[in-house]
Amino acid sequence: MKRSLIFLLLLTFVHCGKDLSPFGGEPEITTLKPRLKPEWPNPNWKVVSPESVGVSSTKLGLVEEYAFTRTGDETDRKGRRTDALVILRNGKLIYEKYARNFSEDKIHLTWSVSKSILQTMYGIAVKEGLVKLDDPGYYHYEPLSRDEAHKKITIRHLLNMSSGLAAEEGYESGPLKSSVIAMLYTRGRKDMGAFCAGLPLRAEPGTQVYYSSCDTNILSAILKKVYGAEEYDKLPFEKIFKPLGITNVTFERDGSGTYVGSSYLYMTAKDLAKIGYLYLNDGVWNGERLLPEGWVQFTRTPAPGYKTTPYSEDLDQDNYTAHWYANTGVPERGVHEPWPDAPKDTFAGLGHWGQMLYVIPSLDLIIVRFGDDREKAFIKNDFLKLVKESVIR
Amino acid sequence: MKRKISVILSLLFLFILFWAQWNWKHLSSFPSIISSFYSKEYCSCYFVMQLSEEQCHDFARQWVPISEFKLDKENMSVTVKGLGRTNTAKFLSKEYGCTLVTE
Repeated sequence: MKRSLIFLLLLTFVHCGKDLSPFGGEPEITTLKPRLKPEWPNPNWKVVSPESVGVSSTKLGLVEEYAFTRTGDETDRKGRRTDALVILRNGKLIYEKYARNFSEDKIHLTWSVSKSILQTMYGIAVKEGLVKLDDPGYYHYEPLSRDEAHKKITIRHLLNMSSGLAAEEGYESGPLKSSVIAMLYTRGRKDMGAFCAGLPLRAEPGTQVYYSSCDTNILSAILKKVYGAEEYDKLPFEKIFKPLGITNVTFERDGSGTYVGSSYLYMTAKDLAKIGYLYLNDGVWNGERLLPEGWVQFTRTPAPGYKTTPYSEDLDQDNYTAHWYANTGVPERGVHEPWPDAPKDTFAGLGHWGQMLYVIPSLDLIIVRFGDDREKAFIKNDFLKLVKESVIR
Repeated sequence: MKRKISVILSLLFLFILFWAQWNWKHLSSFPSIISSFYSKEYCSCYFVMQLSEEQCHDFARQWVPISEFKLDKENMSVTVKGLGRTNTAKFLSKEYGCTLVTE
């Protein structure tokens, strides 16, 4: 009895200072307004002067200076190293510049921005009625039926990065035990979905947000089962890229032919902006609804698992929604917005070494930035502040 | 004193042995990371992103140096040896890019 009392006391002290209580009410996500005069890029964006859409060229010069001034050593790959920057307002191209041997027709590795496009594939599968967000994954994908705990993982949990699977996302920091490295390069590379589904659980599915490339590649493997290998091979090309007029694109697969949705999509900056424009227009393209009603709303809503995720120092850097990021903080838990100087409604797809796709509905802006930053010298908030300040009306 | 040191050393050795056994699945696959990362990322850099050979070496280079490198432009493959392991990545097509060729 005495021992258990001491244990309980110890447990209380261990949790001191960690607020595990749910944060307040539902986040405020305003619905996107329908576009009155859409300018669909069929197949290319209309190019206009920044001033004609209310943006100052002089101020854009400061954005360019920030993005393209090399601040570090090139051979050691230090500092800010931008490869491409494209900015659109009101559906028109107002800024475009490339560096380090890239050009408008060269595709660039998007790393984890791929996750956000894998999410687009889910939007399509949901619209086609092939999957439901709350379907347990094992309904479609046998490796997730290994025990009762794994059977609780739903598609929504996976999209919210809340599967509870004990992945280790460390990249350069801890290569030995990193499951993302093992998945991409060694033990998991033959079949990434199966490798990831085999991980033990660290938390009850849905209760903890933990950013994990494994969650995405399980989703990718589920889609392969849902569509069948042949149709799945064509899925992103036929159902996303073709309608958007994207032809110059590569999507790499693992040893079993499953798209590496976590990491290996290659696109041009201007084509990636089209994905942003699809989301800015609430999933409608050229007058046709590609993504189901409410999908973009779901995309912009923080993962419910934040309510019960143990507080960590990384929490305020994540702000994960459903395979995208949103500029929403959790004030009740001391988690601030990730980009406090950007408009509150900013949402984004972000990837390793500085790949960025920003959508800012309130300013009708889309920004694509590609880079090869090997250290954290490109500060997203500083960059977004400069872009915001370039808007004069 | 001498005895004390040898006791400490044997304890340390035992600890390392225990740790290695505990982490064996991680340790055994670790050496392959160097060559598989280099070959895969170089292949994609060169054949998919179409950057220069020099840029692709910079892109794929890691802390641990590699010992052998072969860029086969005809077969569109990249073979790399590092930490005693060899891996090959092959360019498949424009749509599907490069994939590590399974050992």
